[in-house]
Formats: sequence, C-alpha cells, structure tokens
Amino acid sequence: MTTTTKYAARLDNGIKTYGEGESAVHALNGATAEFERGHFTAIMGPSGSGKSTLLHCIAGLDSLTSGSAYIGDVDLSSLKDRDLTLLRRERIGFVFQAFNLVPSLSAEENILLPLSIGGKKPDEDWYGQILDTVGLRDRLKHLPAELSGGEQQRVAAARALVSQPEIIFADEPSGNLDSKAGAELLAFMRRAVKEFGQTIVMVTHDPNTAAYADRIIFLEDGKTVDEMYDPTPDSVLDRLKSLGG
Amino acid sequence: MIKTAIKSLFAHKIRFILTAVAIVLGVSLVAGTFIFTDTINAQFDDLLDDIYAGIDVSVRADAGDFGASTEPFPAEVLGSVLAVDGVDVAEGGVASISIQVLDKSGDPIGGQGPPTLGFSWGEVPSLSPMRIKDGGGLPPSGPGEVMLDANTVDNAGFVLGDEVTVIGFLGPEEFELVGIGSFGDQDSLLGATLVLFELEEARRVFGFGDEFSGISVQAVADVDADELTERISLVLPSGVEAVTGETEQDEQAADINEGLSFLSIGLLSFAGVSVFVGAFIIQNTFRIVVAQRTRELALLRAIGATGRQIRVMVIVEALFIGLVGSVAGIAFGFVMALAIRGLMNAGGFGVPADALVLLPRTLVVSMLVGLGLTLLSSLLPARKASRIPPVAAMREDAARTPRRSLRTRAIAGTAITGLGVLLLAVGLFASVGRAIIFVAAGAAIAFIGVSVLAPLAAKPLADVIGWPLPRLFGISGLLAKENTKRKPRRTASTASALMVGVALVAFFSVFGASTKASISDTVFELFPADLTFQSENQNDPELPAAISPAFAVDLETYDELSVVSAMQFGRVVIDGDQQFLGAVDPSTINQVFALQPNGDAVSALSQPGSMIVASGFLEKNGWKVGDIVTTEFAHSGEVEMSVVGTFEADEFSNIYVSTETFKANYQYVGDGLVFANARDGVGVAAAQEAISPTVDAFGNVKAQTKSEIVDELETQIDQALALFTGLLLFAVIIAILGITNTLTLSIYERTREIGLLRAVGMVRRQVRRMIRWEAVIIATFGAILGVGLGIVLGWAVVKALEEEGFGAFSIPVGQVVLALFLAALAGVLAAIWPARKAARMNILDAISTE
Repeated sequence: MTTTTKYAARLDNGIKTYGEGESAVHALNGATAEFERGHFTAIMGPSGSGKSTLLHCIAGLDSLTSGSAYIGDVDLSSLKDRDLTLLRRERIGFVFQAFNLVPSLSAEENILLPLSIGGKKPDEDWYGQILDTVGLRDRLKHLPAELSGGEQQRVAAARALVSQPEIIFADEPSGNLDSKAGAELLAFMRRAVKEFGQTIVMVTHDPNTAAYADRIIFLEDGKTVDEMYDPTPDSVLDRLKSLGG
Repeated sequence: MIKTAIKSLFAHKIRFILTAVAIVLGVSLVAGTFIFTDTINAQFDDLLDDIYAGIDVSVRADAGDFGASTEPFPAEVLGSVLAVDGVDVAEGGVASISIQVLDKSGDPIGGQGPPTLGFSWGEVPSLSPMRIKDGGGLPPSGPGEVMLDANTVDNAGFVLGDEVTVIGFLGPEEFELVGIGSFGDQDSLLGATLVLFELEEARRVFGFGDEFSGISVQAVADVDADELTERISLVLPSGVEAVTGETEQDEQAADINEGLSFLSIGLLSFAGVSVFVGAFIIQNTFRIVVAQRTRELALLRAIGATGRQIRVMVIVEALFIGLVGSVAGIAFGFVMALAIRGLMNAGGFGVPADALVLLPRTLVVSMLVGLGLTLLSSLLPARKASRIPPVAAMREDAARTPRRSLRTRAIAGTAITGLGVLLLAVGLFASVGRAIIFVAAGAAIAFIGVSVLAPLAAKPLADVIGWPLPRLFGISGLLAKENTKRKPRRTASTASALMVGVALVAFFSVFGASTKASISDTVFELFPADLTFQSENQNDPELPAAISPAFAVDLETYDELSVVSAMQFGRVVIDGDQQFLGAVDPSTINQVFALQPNGDAVSALSQPGSMIVASGFLEKNGWKVGDIVTTEFAHSGEVEMSVVGTFEADEFSNIYVSTETFKANYQYVGDGLVFANARDGVGVAAAQEAISPTVDAFGNVKAQTKSEIVDELETQIDQALALFTGLLLFAVIIAILGITNTLTLSIYERTREIGLLRAVGMVRRQVRRMIRWEAVIIATFGAILGVGLGIVLGWAVVKALEEEGFGAFSIPVGQVVLALFLAALAGVLAAIWPARKAARMNILDAISTE
C-alpha cells in the first residue's frame, strides 16, 4: 500500500536540463526534497530558481533528465503517459495560478471534472463537506466567466480536493487574486490540511502566502538550499534576505 | 519566446496549408477541365488537319438549315465535278452511322460509348486519312470484304481473315476481314469503330443507291480553293453544294467544340460548387485567424498602424495564400486532366495519351478564380480586423465588438434566403431566358442566406445532435457538445460549407427518386406494347440509333407475335426552327404506342404528305387542322405538308407522319423503335423466347418488356446520380478539410484548456474522443442543414416540372439516412489530425503562464 510510506511525494537528486551543450540550462540541478503526509509545504525561491520546474516534475507534468520523483512509492520515471495521466487523475490535485477552469463547464462540472474524467461519482458526504467549506453552493450552476477571480480559484481548490488525492500541488494559487480573496483561498487550503489531513505543496514567491504553510523549502539555482518550519511573514523575509534573494 | 514563436509559426503553417488546399482543389478542377478539353480540341484539330490536308473542295448535299450533311446525292455529280477546269483529282464516297459490328461473342462493339462509323474506302490517298497499317493486309476491294480500324481489331481480338458480322441496312451479314486500317498515324479515331467497304459494297450495306454522300476534290497546283469552289458550284444541281475543305474543317471543329462544351460546362459547374464551398472555408479561416490575432493587431494599431494598413495586411496575406494555392491548383490541374482522361478511357473512349495542352486562357482563368476567391473571402475578415481598437492590446474584452443582435441576423438571413428562393422560383416557374442561371444564382444565394441563419440554429441543434454524447462518453462527450456551442458562428460557418455539397447530393437524390416514382407509370402508359426493341448504339445523342429495317421484316415471320410496328425518327425545319419528327404505321400504332390521337387523326395519316401535330404545338404555332405547312427536310428539301389532326402525348416529338411519308422525305436507314405484341394465348415470355434467334442475330438490338424498360431507366438514373455524387465529392472533401481547419485553429485557441484537462487526468484517448465528437456534431449539423435544403430544392424543382410528367415527389429515406451517417463519418475523418494534435499537446506549455 502506497499510503503506508511516510512521504506523499519526494524528489531525489532531481536534475532537469533544457537544451544541449553550451546553451544548456539546468533548471533543476540536484534538488532533493520530501513532502510528508498531512503537511502544507511551500516552495520558495527567486525567479529562475527552478521552483515551478520542481513542482511540474514531481507532479508528473514534466519528466526529469535524471534523478527520481516519487508519488507515494511510485517512481514517476517508470510510468508511460497513460499511467502517469491516471496517476494524476486519481492521486494528485492541482490548483494553478490562472486558467484553472474549463470555460464551457459550470462551476459544479469543473469541481467534479477529475471524477467525471474517470467516470466516477462523488462521495456525497465528502462533496457536501467541500462545498460547505468553499462556500460556493449558490454559484454551482454558473459558468467560470460569471465568477469572480476568488470564486474561480476556490472552485479550482474544491476540484483539487474532490477526488481525495494523496497530494495537491498549487502553483501561485493566489497570484492573480486581491489580498482579501487570496487570504480566503489560503485559509481554505490550510483548513483542508488541518481538518482533512490533506497534503499540499505550493509554489509561491510571496512571503505572506508562504507563511500559511507548515514548512518552507528554499530553492536556489535548481538546488534545495534551506528549509524552515512554522514560518511567519517576517521570518520568511529575513531568511530570504539572508539567502540573498 | 523563441519556442512560442516557432510553435505559432508551425500552427500558422498548418493553417496556411489547409487554406491553400481548399483553393488548390477548386482551382485544379477548373484548370483540369480546361486542360482536358483543350487537349482533346488540339487532338481533333490535328485529326482534322490530317483529314483535310489534301482536300481543297468538298461537295455535299445542301442541307440548308441542317448544317453539314451526309445525305446522299446522285453519283452523276462526280462527272460534272471532274469536268471542271482546275480539278486535279476528285473522288466520291459514302458514309453511314447506322452500322454495327459484332464482336466474337455476338455483342455489339462500342455500346453506349464512342460511335461506329461506316465509310467507303477511298482509292486516292491524298483525299483520305485512312491508311493500311503495316502488315494490315489489303484495302477492301469487293463484295464480302471489310476493313476495320486497328484499335477495334485489337480490342475484339480479330485477325486478318476472320469472319466479322456487320449489321447494316440489310441486317446481319458476314464479311471477311481483309484489312486493318489506321486513321492518319493513330490506331483509333478517339475510340470510334471504323468500318470500311469497297464503294459498291458500301452502298449496298449502307442502303444507298447510285449515290454519294460526299465528293472530295483536290485542285491543280496553281488554282485557289475558293476560286475552284465557285467554279464547281456553277455545275452542281440544286440540293448539292460545294464548300472549301477549310470551311468544312472549321464547321467540324466547331461541332466538336460544341460537343465538348457540354462536358466542360458540366465539369466547370461542379468546379464552381467546389470553389463556392472553398470560399466558405477561406472566409471562416480568416475570421478565426483575425480573432486569434486580436492582441497582435491591436498592438500594431497602438503603435500607430492605421485601420487601413491592417486591412491591407490581412488582404495581402490572403492574396499570398491565394497565389500559392492557385499555382499549385494549376499544377494539380494536370493531374485532374489525366484523371478525367482515365475516366473517359475507362468508359470506352480511346482518348490518346498526347501531351496535355496548357493555354494562356487556362492560366488566366485559374489565377483569377483562385485570387478572386481568396480576395472576396478575406474582405469581411479584413474589415473586422481593421476595426479592432488599439486598447484591445491591453484588454481582452475591448476587442469584443458588440454582437450584431440575433434579430438583425434573423432578418438579414431570412431576406437573403428569400431572395435566393425568389430567383430560384423565377428560374423554375417563370419562362425566362437562361433559366439555369437564375436557378444556379438562386441556389447559391439561398445557401448563403441559410448560412447566415445557421448560427441561430447552431446551439439548439448541437444540443439535439449531441444529446446522447454525455450519456455515451461522459465528460468527453459533454465537452464535445459544449465546445460546438461556444462559437455558434464558427460552428455554423464550418457546417455551412458541408451543407452545400450535401444539399446538392440530397437534391439530386430527391430528384432521382421522384423521377423513378413516376417513371413506371409513364412507361406503362406510353408503351402499351408487350415488347419494345431499340438499338444499343448511340450515334446521335438526341435520337435513337436506327435498327436495320431487316429486323422488323424478320419479326413479322413469327406466329407468336400479333403485331409488329416500327417507328422512325428524324429532324425537320419549320419556320427556321429545328423539330423532331416521328413516323408511325397508322394501321398498327394504336396497339403499341399511346399517341392519344384526337378523333381519327391517326388513320388520316395514311394519306401521303400529311402530318399530325401535338395540340399544344398546334396552338403555339397558330395552326389549325387543315392548314398546309411548309416543312423542310434535309433529304427532300421543302415540302408542303397538310395538318390532318392532333394528338395529346408529346414525349417524343411534336409532329408525327406515316412511315410511308417518312421514306419519301428521308434517307431511310432503319427504324428508331420497333414494337411487338404477343399473340393472345402466347405469353410475353414465350414470345420473347420464340423470337430470340432474330434478336440475337441482330446483336445490337435489345428486346425489353415494359418492366425491363423501367428497370433500365432506373439504372440510368442511378448511374447519373452516382456520377453527380462523385463530382460533388470534391466539394464535400473541401468542406471536410474546412472542418479540420476550424478544429485545428480552435485547438490552438484552447491550448491551455486542453492542457488543464490533461493535467487533471484526461488521457489522450479521451482528448481525441472529445475532438472527434465535436467534428461529428459539426458535420452532422451541416448535413442536416444540407439534407433539409436539398429536399426543399428537390420539391420545388419537382413541382416546377409537374406538367412534364413528374407526378410524385418522393424522398429517398434510405439515401438521406446514409448521407447523414456518412457525414458523421466524414466528421470522424476530419478530426483525425486535430485530435492527434490535441492529444499530443505539451501539458506544460498549456498551463504555464506567459
């Protein structure tokens, strides 16, 4: 059983190189990280540090040049496209910075998307619980274009939760939101971790956002250079300064 | 950035290719038609040059309004011609088109294809294009000898010395094959079967007396052809004329040209449909592209480009695609010409594989069509592009021009459709000149009108067509359905292109089915005879080929038949207009053919020099029974005929005379139709069995019962339908490419959405399925519009032709269902490429923010 491993995901000496020869860019250069179950981890680093690449590689959206990425104890490099897709569908949830929703589907259809792609019905109790937490019950029949930015991201978060994935990856989830909507979304993600034991990995460059996490991993030049537990905005800022970012 | 630029260039390349292909297909049909007919024309010109190389003057019967003629004239004319000063050589000959050669198994050679032509062998080589092929024996020199062209000999597997059955005026006879000929240096005269006899034998076989059907003259070296023609004219009796060889050559070239123009007009019409469909696609593509480039164009506006410059930019881009497409289309036109030639040869025509001819006219017309098509199609999108406000560079929603209200669209669409229907009605019901132009323009405008209305129907129809999809295919099906509803204009416009082809196929099917529905009634009513005999040859497209008169005489000998009655057909000129004329045996015709005479009109025909006239035709000419009408025959010249009665049926001709009168005024070469009834107590089948020795001996005669006639006509209708459908396939292929094009562009637009779906767990198969069903909905939508429109058009035309005997309007349900199914299948095909592309899309590109 995969759920028996301590880590929901981990990256072992991950190297990701774009291009060849002189023009080669090492987006990841031997990064190693573990993500414990039931934890909310933020990945921080200056732009170009490889934080998005790390997220993509560990989430099965991109492949490593060398090294290993695991979801549970499944080595992602051993999977073909189809199995990788099924793994994303069943075991991973996503919240992106923008363009999270399919415009032609209603909010409800978007939330249920990973389930309907797999031809599954939602667990009614769980679904109800999510809806109550996100607070979107009266907006379910609306199309994304009719929702505010904050509502759209909450729909995306609800979608990430609905299939009860082992891990949720979020890439700047509040990046396009105003501070109030952003705070609401992050608070909701935090509750998902505390109340439902959800594992979340989030990429951000914003100390305030990162402070919602239990732990922060700092990335520089494609390597994990530092980490910090129970951050506050100020402690994050200090650490960033000391890293020279 | 570079990566994205390359990506976008690649997407543009595909768009470019698909758009150009629509132009290439349309233009290639146009160019191919021209190249093919020009090539044939050039071949005929060469041929005619060969034939007329040594002929300075041609002497022939003066057929007046009938044009060139092979009517015989007395042989003594040759003596007068030879006596004219300046004549070097002159030779008379006879020719016949009422001749048939049977192959070794007793079947007629040629059938429905190229004709069989009989000639007398000319002794003077400079006056005849026929040559003996190397090792091809000797020319026919007496009774019982025949010569055939090398192509026919090869195809039929004859060798010199074989006994060959030829059916002429006297019925089937055996001849010894003594010579194998070539026509100039060709083995074949475009597939025609050439049969040559020695002059006297030819006269006997063709049913000529001491006559010629033409005299060819060569002038002495220093005498001008025009001068000699005048001199010869002076010695000719009335009814015989002399023309220069050049004049006759020109006449024949013009005839050939006219014959070919039917083919080229037919092919060009279908090319026109393809071009029309291409216009839909190109316009649609440009509109999508302009929408996708909104930001880029707005940026150009923001940094100072004028709206006009933007408009010009879009048009120039279109013209560039048009230029490339047209040039490729002309190149592909050669392939088309070869394909048409292949099809003709498969149909039995021996079109020689000469070098294809490309005239400047072909280049000019093809370029004009290709460029004009793209120019016209890009005007509206270009105008739209020029109206993008600069602020759209910063704000996505600023580019959204206020949508024209649905009401405006409904009103405009209805008005345009109405105009189309009006023109159509004028063409169909009102008696205007060039009705076909009204019909074609009306149909085209109606198509445009419906395509304007189509977006209104896109959403509801997509819901109906796509209803089962979410139930069958879950989220892929739901998304397929929803995606077609997202841009109703785009969906409708893509579907409209398919609508045009499908509508025309449906129209022809309805027309064919309705014709079939009334055909059996018409045949049973018109041909009460138990058995009808006609020639399998087709020498004259308008009149039945003659059956040797010996056939009817033979039939008379059978006791199993109670009546044998023959009809002959010919042309007459009355008041300068050419008419068809039928000849009947007044004593028997009522038993075998439903002429519906008024009173005892038929028996009055027994009186020589009399005719009966269709009552409508009588009225139209302002005649009445008892009038004397001056009628001109090619053979006997002007004859005073008395109108002795009227009749109602006029399916074949407006004028009937007796066979006796016919023989007095025509070169009688045989019967057009022969009818027979089985004697009481003898079944039709038994009678048919009894007379089979005679029917078999005459090879080219087919005996049919009433229901066999119906079957044959139905088969012919089906064949015509298959041909039209085949030609419309081009328009359908272009429309399918259009679906591919739209989907490819839409996918490009939806990169991020597809990436998202893949990220959250959609496998490639589901992505492909989503795109595939989107295409199926669009295709089915187009097919439904097309079938609907086609049925309406078919109904209108059937109604318009009601007076001509079209009773029943009938919808071929099976074919309609099949068409819808095939359209859906075409959608699947159209989606193959875009679906693959969508499934292979890089997820990271899709989800990473710019």
